[in-house]
Amino acid sequence: MLKKLLVGLTLAASAAGFSLAAHAAYPERSIQAVIPWGAGGATDNVMRSLTPYVEKELGGKVILNNRPGGTAVIGTSYVLGQQPNGYTLLLGAENPQLYPVLGLAKFDYSALYPINLIGQNVAVIAVHADSPWNSMADLMAAAKANPGSLRMGGAGAGALPSTVHAMISAVDQLDVREVTFGGDGPGITALMGQHIDFMPLSLAAAKELIRTGKLKALAVVSTEEIPELPGVEPISKTLPAIADYLPWGPFWGVWVHKDTPDDVKQKLTAAYAKAVATPEFQAFLKNYGAKSLNLSGDEASQFLNRWQSVTTWSMYKAKAIDIAPDSVGIAKP
Amino acid sequence: MQNTLEKRLVGELAFVCLLLALAAGIAVEAWGIAGFSGISSPGAFPLGISAILLLAGGRILFDTLRRPDSGAGNWLAAARQFCAQHFPRRILVFTVLAVAYLASIQWASFYISTFVFLLLSILYLRSGRPLAALLTSALLVGLIYLLFTLAFSVYLP
Amino acid sequence: MSETISYLLMAWSDPNLLLLTALGTFAGIYIGAIPGLSVTMAVSILVSFTFSWEVNSALALIVGIYIGGVYGGSRSAILLNIPGAPSSVATAFDGYPLAKLGEAGRAIGLSTVMSVIGGLAGTLVLASAAPVIGDMALKFAPRDYFLIAALGLLLVGSLAEGSLAKGVFAAALGTVIGLVGMDPVTAQGRFTLGQVELMGGIHYVVVMIGLFGVAEAFYQLHSLDVPAVRQQVTKIIPSVAMVLKFLPLSLRTAVIGVLVGALPGVGGDIAALMAYDHAKRTVKKPSRPFGQGAYEGLVAPETANSAAVGGAYVPMLTLGIPGDAVTAVIIGALVIHGLNPGPMLMVESPHIFWFTVGNLALANIFLLVFGLMGIKLFAKLVELPKAMLIPLILVLCVVGTYSINSSMTEVYWMLGFGLFGYFLKVFGFQMGPVILGVILGPMMDNSWRQAMASVGDNPVELLGELLSNPVSLILTVGITLILLGKTPVSGWLKKKCKCTPVTH
Repeated sequence: MLKKLLVGLTLAASAAGFSLAAHAAYPERSIQAVIPWGAGGATDNVMRSLTPYVEKELGGKVILNNRPGGTAVIGTSYVLGQQPNGYTLLLGAENPQLYPVLGLAKFDYSALYPINLIGQNVAVIAVHADSPWNSMADLMAAAKANPGSLRMGGAGAGALPSTVHAMISAVDQLDVREVTFGGDGPGITALMGQHIDFMPLSLAAAKELIRTGKLKALAVVSTEEIPELPGVEPISKTLPAIADYLPWGPFWGVWVHKDTPDDVKQKLTAAYAKAVATPEFQAFLKNYGAKSLNLSGDEASQFLNRWQSVTTWSMYKAKAIDIAPDSVGIAKP
Repeated sequence: MQNTLEKRLVGELAFVCLLLALAAGIAVEAWGIAGFSGISSPGAFPLGISAILLLAGGRILFDTLRRPDSGAGNWLAAARQFCAQHFPRRILVFTVLAVAYLASIQWASFYISTFVFLLLSILYLRSGRPLAALLTSALLVGLIYLLFTLAFSVYLP
Repeated sequence: MSETISYLLMAWSDPNLLLLTALGTFAGIYIGAIPGLSVTMAVSILVSFTFSWEVNSALALIVGIYIGGVYGGSRSAILLNIPGAPSSVATAFDGYPLAKLGEAGRAIGLSTVMSVIGGLAGTLVLASAAPVIGDMALKFAPRDYFLIAALGLLLVGSLAEGSLAKGVFAAALGTVIGLVGMDPVTAQGRFTLGQVELMGGIHYVVVMIGLFGVAEAFYQLHSLDVPAVRQQVTKIIPSVAMVLKFLPLSLRTAVIGVLVGALPGVGGDIAALMAYDHAKRTVKKPSRPFGQGAYEGLVAPETANSAAVGGAYVPMLTLGIPGDAVTAVIIGALVIHGLNPGPMLMVESPHIFWFTVGNLALANIFLLVFGLMGIKLFAKLVELPKAMLIPLILVLCVVGTYSINSSMTEVYWMLGFGLFGYFLKVFGFQMGPVILGVILGPMMDNSWRQAMASVGDNPVELLGELLSNPVSLILTVGITLILLGKTPVSGWLKKKCKCTPVTH
């Protein structure tokens, strides 16, 4: 009896809360923003520098909450499980787009609504300063001369190095030993100590080390030279066929539950678009070696679909994954 | 500390057997990861660890069996004696309170259940003095609120 | 040169920075002491909070919190047997027995002075040899990390009181707990029993809080009616003679702390455990047996974990590579403030390096002051009626566990580990080896597979590398010697030595 009464009371209270929330101006309390990666990582850095501008635009407090683990599966599933009221945001990166083909989870970003795709990074193929190779062609030749003996730094299934490796393998042969590290940072350390021979890295992680000559960039994973790394050849110079998969790069974005009320979605979209566009944040992105995207709505969805299709099909072609992308509903690029 | 001539503790044999069973379960799980597929496969290290667990567990069982029996009589008497020694009513009640507290956090809020838990357990453990218990729990909850929610904006359920 | 000195003294001369450093150190001690408020968390909150500040002010506050927080973890370890931070696990081994003997005040006083000595030693090394040590840290290959983890696991031998088999079992069990979750290489679940919540693994702080805090709370229920030990609070500040007596040990463990702290990915927790082991091996006549309140067992880990702070800054400031989780967040802070942490930081923004060095020294001075203040009050905390203390400990354990990953599942695990730990305690198992396994197990698994992948799964090639590379060779020989010391061979050698007269 007591329990029934309590349940009834709770229901009534939450219903009252709901109807109030619908009328009061959003946000009327602080918003919880889940970062599915650890503190101090690339995603965390981007989100922590963006959030103050978003708070200013929204006129409310955004509490950042790191829920790392399982290539962001944990944090992303948590957001999916919350009330669709706009008080739980997901500040994530590209990984969920690969969950279906890696068999990590049943969902991808189509289960959420994209508020903003903030920016995109570009990948570079880096070697240590004393490396005998000076171009992508040198690396490919060395790998072919001694198949299965070069050591490539990786960061686990679905991470940037293995994806870039899959793209190269899809158009040419690159038979290497993959040594897996806990992320960019530990991988770079091993590369500088010459314990591995090369590693595909995000520009954000490698920029300073390349600029100071501790690492050498053999190629940028793009079809043309980029202003941040003058004189570094685009990877398509050595591997022209890879152009089909480009431009490609890891990205960061903001998502909410799909069933969030439309007015809340609009308010968040407007606030994030303005915050990303502030000159201060743009300067941060540039310094960080990232390209601003600032996409929302249909544009964002198109971007997400193309990225997923390009990435998964190249991985499938390179036999980096066993699940066929079309079997989980991903169309060919 | 542990002399080989020392008597076996009540329930020790059962506990060691349970640990061995746990080790066996872990070994089965470890085998299920990748079998013997390679020296650097995801299952290689777990398999090695399970072997160590089984070996060490076997050694512990051997040591335990060598020691004289606890002399508790049949297993029912032993269980009763074990509870009396290691699970007196106080610990049982506190465990139940703790589990109830964790369960209630999710449907009542954190602060309410913490307050109730503190109040009940202090009341029970000090057997009485309701006013002091009320004051202490209120003070403690207030302190937690100040520190975690206000000062550090830690997200609490 | 004059510029360097002016950067060095920047924090000492600007009243604003002086105040922020003091504030950070003070807050850090309490953040560190409360399980669940971690330095990493506090620093990452500060990064957003100090976003619009000048970079020096933000750094001053962060340095203070870092120094204070690493030290603060020892408080709860000594007083309640709950290590406030992973780097204080080893502190609890002898610190808590001291509190049980009524010497909590003296233990805190000693740990404060030793932390400051360690912190200053770490800062000195940072200032004088950062580039050399930074380059040296890069020389460590995955196989060397594997050997370091193995070296750490050998600690089981010195932690396991009584039965070695029980210690080995506990460490192996801890390793399995550490391995739970998604395999970092193949993204396949291991020991997850099909649970999504377990894909992210069980955080080692969850295990630590459960095994130490909750298990101890349950254990204490037995002695509810026994009045708490009266704490002596008269001789809190250790005498000069006492400090001098422990100084050689303290300096040795400071070296361990700096070197281990400078290795990327290895932090104060492992440094403190290794220092404890070092003390146990080298100190022949401790003030009390280790594990029962030996001062040496307190001095070693406390010096090492504070020295590790200076060490962690080495790769961060010289190469832009984090030495541990906190320096990773600090790198993020520098990026957000528009600086470029990397090899050129010392050239392009030399003030950051020297400012940090000066600031670390300053924070250590404040630590001495704040650390020695209020000890009496803290020591009296243990004299609170247990009927109040035990429920409060449980609540703190819940908050502490929840705040790590905001996961209720982990809170249940924490309670589960608490009950399991209670059983382990009852049947004479030690907690230390379990934690050791949880911390070092995953590191061993990772580096093993990295090392094997690097040689194309060829054990002979790995053996060749172990014997030909100087770093690996030193570590291999060290491990072999320690292992030999545990086998009958050493007993036989010792016997032989006893026959020949040795002058002492």
